[in-house]
Amino acid sequence: MADPSKTDDSERIFSELLSPSELFAARSRSRKLPVRGQKDFYPSGCTQQKQRLQNSLDEHWELVSEERVERLGNLVRGIWNPSDQIVELQSPAGKFWQTMGFSADGKQCLQPEEALYLMECGNLQVFHRDLPLSIQEGYETFLSSSQLSLQQYQVFGHLKRLGYVVSRFHASSVPSLYERQLNLPPSRDRGANQLKRKRSPSPEATATVASSPRPSEKQEDSTNPSSAQDKATNHSQPSAAQQPIPESHRPPADDDVTGRSWWSDGLVPPEQQQDGGPSPGGPNSRWDFLSIQFPDLGARDTPGPLAPPDPALLPGAMAVGVCSVSSWLRRLNTWREKQPGGNQRRRREEEEERARRRTGPDREVQGCRSWAEYRRIMERRRKGSRRSDRRPAHLWEKDVTPLHDPRQGTSTAELLEKISVVKPSRWGDKSCSVEAVGTWQISFDVHQPAVNTEFRKSSPGMPYSRMCVCSFDGPVPALGELQQVSQQSGHVPVTMAVVDHGDISFYTFKHFLLPCDLPQ
Amino acid sequence: MDATPTSELTSTPGQHVVEPLQDEGGGHSTSRRPDPLIGIHLCGSTALVWRTADVRAAREAGVVGSLVGALPRQPRQNGRLGRPLQLGQEELRLLLEKQASGDDIESSAPNSEGEVQQAQTECYEEEQRSSFEAQSILALEERKSALLRAMGGAKQGGGTSQPDGGVSGRLEVLDQSFVFPRSAVAVQLRTARAGLSHCSDERTLLSAAQPGSSQRAPRSESRFQVFRDLRQRGYYITSAGKFGGDFLVYPGDPLRFHAHFIAVCVALDEQLPLVDVLAVARLGSNVKKTVLLCSPGGPAAPVHYTSLQWSGMV
Repeated sequence: MADPSKTDDSERIFSELLSPSELFAARSRSRKLPVRGQKDFYPSGCTQQKQRLQNSLDEHWELVSEERVERLGNLVRGIWNPSDQIVELQSPAGKFWQTMGFSADGKQCLQPEEALYLMECGNLQVFHRDLPLSIQEGYETFLSSSQLSLQQYQVFGHLKRLGYVVSRFHASSVPSLYERQLNLPPSRDRGANQLKRKRSPSPEATATVASSPRPSEKQEDSTNPSSAQDKATNHSQPSAAQQPIPESHRPPADDDVTGRSWWSDGLVPPEQQQDGGPSPGGPNSRWDFLSIQFPDLGARDTPGPLAPPDPALLPGAMAVGVCSVSSWLRRLNTWREKQPGGNQRRRREEEEERARRRTGPDREVQGCRSWAEYRRIMERRRKGSRRSDRRPAHLWEKDVTPLHDPRQGTSTAELLEKISVVKPSRWGDKSCSVEAVGTWQISFDVHQPAVNTEFRKSSPGMPYSRMCVCSFDGPVPALGELQQVSQQSGHVPVTMAVVDHGDISFYTFKHFLLPCDLPQ
Repeated sequence: MDATPTSELTSTPGQHVVEPLQDEGGGHSTSRRPDPLIGIHLCGSTALVWRTADVRAAREAGVVGSLVGALPRQPRQNGRLGRPLQLGQEELRLLLEKQASGDDIESSAPNSEGEVQQAQTECYEEEQRSSFEAQSILALEERKSALLRAMGGAKQGGGTSQPDGGVSGRLEVLDQSFVFPRSAVAVQLRTARAGLSHCSDERTLLSAAQPGSSQRAPRSESRFQVFRDLRQRGYYITSAGKFGGDFLVYPGDPLRFHAHFIAVCVALDEQLPLVDVLAVARLGSNVKKTVLLCSPGGPAAPVHYTSLQWSGMV
């Protein structure tokens, strides 16, 4: 018996579409999850067990088959933009805007993984070509691109459901050591950076841009307004989507161009020289004294006549001949200085000097007058050293000597340093050769859950951890790869999230130094 | 609320076979197919099952899988997850084998062309309109019945002096002035894709995407043989990455029973270092499960099982 209504019903049930009455009745659905009871160990086949199994299965299917039903007023409407791979919101965002999403072109936008998570929570409805996307279509559309894999989304969703604030990782957002030393505020505009990757203008371009309005401002004079104008033009010149370069990032040549170019040598290219600016001699008026030779007329050997200078350096048609220095030498006092005490003392010093040269630096040996005395000195020395700290010849006179001379005082730390074979390497060392490996990449920044609306998207601060997603099927990371990943992350610890069929395990590697008992 | 009305609906000639587990494709066949057909979709390289009926059918075929989506009832918790069901490599292969013909599995179909799009949009808008009207009627009915209940209670409490005209007057006022706001309409956010999205050209895509038996890595081949053998013995199997093994083996449905074994697949002639054996045995004893070393003999040969138990000499 053909029953059209029944066919409709069955098709609707098959395609999991709810009728309006079901939709209306869904407002008063229970929101509680059933508690899972104790499991049994062995299937005994008794009816009680079978009944319990059937009950659990029924509960399970009831939960799994439930569809999402939401009030239209609670849903935020969004539109999928395939070219930019983002979701643009058409209605104002709800509470999730505190921790998710970004603004671009005046519109509120979401990343695909954020949009998919909100769809699964029942807060967002995404339309594509005027039709709402089902969760399946959301998975297939948002996660099929190369940007985000299903595993990464599973980690994202897991952490979001726990309450963490998760955002995409950008390598450029890790402050360099220099920035951290200067304590620079980071420039935040993640969304715009992704949409339009315009590079900040190169230093040369800003300098030329800045210097061209300067002649007109020269009339105002004083370097301070001109440098202020310089910076103003710098800011107004680029379009709104670009980043203003933080002050200290601009090269120092900029400052020189504005005020003090007449002593900056070589930093400013010639075309940036202004007409009414510094003296024409400019950077070329510096003397390089290393290349200018001055003849030493007081030297012992009498120098010959001085050569004439290069005619190119002389003014006009002046010609200079060879200069004889004999008249000058006569005027110079070339006598050697007299020492106090007269000649006798001098003669004695000379003798001593000659004796010293013959017998070496040993003062005792210098003092002895005969070979017998010398032999006595040597014997005395040998006897003395045998008693106190004489080095055993069989150890010290060979090719291989002991590592440490016990006569020398040393500390335990130095001794340990001498006998250590393997040097401990720190986590941050660049000792192992690391090539750019593409497989291990940081996916997300994870911040602590935002309590009391303390989290600000514009300045999230340092993340709690960074996530690197992998799976049990893949290889275990090598030490070099781990070091590279942690270097990429800066000071933030990196957590490896291993995905195994929807089950996620988290692993971190902590730096550890073996303790060393040393008296300090 | 059980979604499969198997008891009420029967198959009659000339009609779509009605049971969800049965043939979904053409409107033929009074005969029941021996094996249930399950819609499996690829997301990237992972196989996912979206419809509840398909998830149930998979479970009845012995494939447990794992639920990886948010649960609609409580989406912000990780204790119980909802659809989609993620299938492992071996589970997918087993299901494909069971489907024998292999041409009933769908791959993710891209959006259709213009006219179909237009028709779908109109259909959707029509649905929304009719749903809105139906719900506003229902809302009005509910308001009226609530009013009647309130009036009836007041009448009983306050004596019989109230004329019935007052009640009908109020009901009329309600009829005229009641406005069901658009924002109050309940909307369904579908989990699975709308409609029967079969495309005959794409049916063979999924089975073709599976590598042929000669190209498979020996490791995945041995894993699949172990999986199939255990399944045939009636065990339920899930993945055991966190336990350091290949599979977790349950004597019955995982919902109700604890796992008995951790299965580790090794080749018959593979040399295992003793430390690995010790490590896996120790792990098993810590979680009170027996470690099972499974070695498939060959394509048609039986699988050899060796169990490890940590015992002490006292």
